[in-house]
Amino acid sequence: MKYSYQPVIGLEIHVQLATATKIFCSCSTDYIGAEPNTNVCPVCLGLPGALPVLNGKAVELGIKAAMALSCTIRDKTVFHRKNYFYPDLPKAYQISQYDLPLAEGGELFIAGEGGALKRIRITRLHLEEDAGKLVHSAADGRLEGSECSYVDYNRGGVPLAEIVSEPDLRSPREAREYVTSLRRLVRYLDVSDGDMERGSMRVDANISLQKKDAATGEILYWGERSEIKNMNSLRAIERALEYEIRRQTVVLENGGVLELETRHWNDGDGVTTSMRSKEAAHDYRYFPDPDLPPIEASPALLEKVRTSLPEMPWAREARFRNEFALPEADAALLSETMPLADYYEICVRSGASAARASNWVRTEVLRVLNEQNIAIEQFSLSPKDLGALVRLVDDEKLSTTAARETFNAMIRDGVSLEKALEASGGARGKLSGNALADTVRGVLASNPDVVAEIFDGKDDKGKKKKFIVGLVMKEARGQADAASVGELLDTLLQEKP
Amino acid sequence: MSFSSLSAAEIVGGIRKRDFSAVEILTSFYERAESLEPSLHALLHRAPEIARKHAAAVDAAVARGEDPGPLAGVPVVLKDNMCVRGMPATCASRILEGWIPPYDATVTELLETSGAVVAAKGNMDEFAMGSSTEFSAFGPASNPWDTERVPGGSSGGSAVSVAAGYTPLALGSDTGGSIRQPASFCGIYGLKPTYGLVSRWGLVAFASSLDQIGPFARTVEDLALSLSVIARPDPRDATSSRRERPDYFASLAPWKAPGRESAPLAGKRIAVVKELRNRKDSVAAEVDDVLHKTLALCREEGAEIVEISLPVSLEFGLPCYYILAPAEASSNLARFDGVRYGLSSDQKSLIDLYLKTRGSGFGNEVKRRILTGTYVLSSGYYDAYYLTAQKVRQLMKKEFAAAFAGCDLIALPTAPSPAFRKGELVNDPIQMYLADVFTLPVNLAGLPALSLNGGFTSGEKPLPVGVQFIAPKWGEPELLSTAAVLEKKLGTAKIAPCGCAKASADRAADAGIAGSERGGEI
Repeated sequence: MKYSYQPVIGLEIHVQLATATKIFCSCSTDYIGAEPNTNVCPVCLGLPGALPVLNGKAVELGIKAAMALSCTIRDKTVFHRKNYFYPDLPKAYQISQYDLPLAEGGELFIAGEGGALKRIRITRLHLEEDAGKLVHSAADGRLEGSECSYVDYNRGGVPLAEIVSEPDLRSPREAREYVTSLRRLVRYLDVSDGDMERGSMRVDANISLQKKDAATGEILYWGERSEIKNMNSLRAIERALEYEIRRQTVVLENGGVLELETRHWNDGDGVTTSMRSKEAAHDYRYFPDPDLPPIEASPALLEKVRTSLPEMPWAREARFRNEFALPEADAALLSETMPLADYYEICVRSGASAARASNWVRTEVLRVLNEQNIAIEQFSLSPKDLGALVRLVDDEKLSTTAARETFNAMIRDGVSLEKALEASGGARGKLSGNALADTVRGVLASNPDVVAEIFDGKDDKGKKKKFIVGLVMKEARGQADAASVGELLDTLLQEKP
Repeated sequence: MSFSSLSAAEIVGGIRKRDFSAVEILTSFYERAESLEPSLHALLHRAPEIARKHAAAVDAAVARGEDPGPLAGVPVVLKDNMCVRGMPATCASRILEGWIPPYDATVTELLETSGAVVAAKGNMDEFAMGSSTEFSAFGPASNPWDTERVPGGSSGGSAVSVAAGYTPLALGSDTGGSIRQPASFCGIYGLKPTYGLVSRWGLVAFASSLDQIGPFARTVEDLALSLSVIARPDPRDATSSRRERPDYFASLAPWKAPGRESAPLAGKRIAVVKELRNRKDSVAAEVDDVLHKTLALCREEGAEIVEISLPVSLEFGLPCYYILAPAEASSNLARFDGVRYGLSSDQKSLIDLYLKTRGSGFGNEVKRRILTGTYVLSSGYYDAYYLTAQKVRQLMKKEFAAAFAGCDLIALPTAPSPAFRKGELVNDPIQMYLADVFTLPVNLAGLPALSLNGGFTSGEKPLPVGVQFIAPKWGEPELLSTAAVLEKKLGTAKIAPCGCAKASADRAADAGIAGSERGGEI
């Protein structure tokens, strides 16, 4: 009998919610680069006598994400204490949610195999507080071999939404697709910055393998799952899952048994290693936190969040493809974040052609953002001005080269489109189709000898024509497009008797 | 001059009129404490420097003609589980030795802005777990009526401070009777407010869903005075009620209402509990006697005595409590791990740090409850214990609600017995737990209750016996009103003899009056 091995994957994703303050106190959530233990207070340090008070904004963002994932929001949701000892957990319990999570039963569509949409079910979305950060003294930063460890509680109490998927994913590629879609969603909604490398989006994967009869597809054996942690990039997720599939396959092929365990992805070595097995599983002794009354999401709040929901990224991407006839990849890129999608769309609404605006935003705009290391929101050139500029190119009033110069001038000098055009010497309208034709005619008229030679068939290498084009370009002060001048020249030359 | 017999209201009045200064009052507090502490050990920490600054500020405010606040110059003892910036808060535990809270509890803030002077921290059972103050890691406190006996607990130190005349006012916390039971044992007033009335911010948690801060006093007026100050909504405590607080003074003199002069309790239905009849064996005869004399007095004052039934609360309250309170405690006390503050055992490995710190830092009773709580929350036992207890708690709430359909207040003994001897129950946890059998159902139901001194036992060293009145939620005015009527007949609470000659002399003068008013038992 021939066997096949089918991976079954579910993801648990922690998303750091973009609130200004922590989930149960008013300390800042901005811990990146902060001095250790400066964004702390009696609450997030778990000092005796301190009490948590829920940050309503965290609930709102959680509901927003849950609604965008088509989850059902609970009328009454409860915070539980998850009890375990660890130095990064100052109360020795994490305030989290257990059997009454904020939201349940949603879905997210991803690009499945063969390009068709695939529905991934969302089990639940719940809120919890983040733990602090341990810093180990060893040179490699790992606990093993460290003389001592330090704790920084700046991150402790930062709000997280944990989003758990059903085991609907069937390949590392699908897992990657799912994470990409979810990341785009949370960015879109301003729910989180979704930055995986900085840890504001953390992915744990549960993966098991079904051993099947290759001929009939009958499941012969289904191994226990392993939970993979420490995957800090999309690439790492894909690699870790690929590795894990190979590892589990080898075990099954050799007649081995897979057991429930937690495994650590080591990105450098490209392997997963066992962290703890089922026997060492914690008993977290969950119970409702008596310090926090149940939260009732009022109809008014739900309505407020519902009306604040923007067009979803996948809907926008589809619209960009249909309405603007953009290729799939371009539509995906432009709808990645809401500010970028807004920028592009305003460009188009300001008169630019959809295709050319797409080119300009994807190449010129993103290049400048990259060079200046800024976000689109900080970009000095307004989408209206860019739209107007691109429209000039559309209308052939400006060559691409000249438009680029104008674009750079606007950014460099921080001036308006009008000013930049004036400065570059080209009065608006000079390079319209007719104006350009006039220029060409003028050049032809002042160089009758060259024209005559072309007509006499003495321009076999096209050098004469190039000479004329050069003259036109010079006359147009570079604000003409060489290709269109060439075409125009051919047309006009045929006008000659 | 001794100020020990003055009430808080009298101290405030005297300071406002400049009869004496806040500093003088405070000095008198420390002098009295100095002489009596060797036998009573009510205090774990005295803070003369910080306190003197506050007292001087009150005097300065008076000198400037400013309002010094409703508790101007009143020295207050806080149970050592409440945070005061700059003062230790040990919870009578080795594990918190050396920890100085960097922040104030809400009650501390409210007291200080009202002109009160936090003078000392009161002794207690470790982490408020106990009914005798014998489980203090720093040594037991003594009952000022008989120093061979316990003052009750867990807020024993606060109760003793008031009963012994250090101060007219102290705060305790009550999780299962920890204010009312020591109030009963020490012969003073103790009020456990409705859950959510007083902020828990800065109170080191024992069982968060049951803990409530409340006052000890020797007069009903002082209870009202202190409650007016500390009963405020607090955005820092999510379980603090936002409802508007009533005027607690408005109900203090019901006899002044037209037509009520001779029967100020007219129209009030005060209930006895049917199940108590079957528990005669577990209630000391003298306790039963005092309860019935007090009820007779209520009837004389116009109240109607009715009977209600609380079968679930009296039968299952105790086991229910000893599941839920330890469950919450096991989680609340997990943070004492030696990593950040307090005791920290110097160990090479993390697990040893945890084991050695907690093993040496907690006393046996605390360990017993952490073990119980951990057990009942464990996977496989949760449903049988924790969940069942939560259901029982809901039944008890319903039972009380149904009972209050037929009465305005419920009267019960505060404790089954008067103060017991030191050492008598230390090694018998179940008997010790039974000391709270009448008080802990009130915490489980989230209700307010007041313990007042109804009388004394007979014998060479008479012991005070408390009576507990329980009201529906937010019924504090009703409790104060009834207590005020009884106070008019029974007199205010007396300062205890304190087991020494000087204090006995004070007491003789006081008790001379009290004796006649209380049936000459003293």
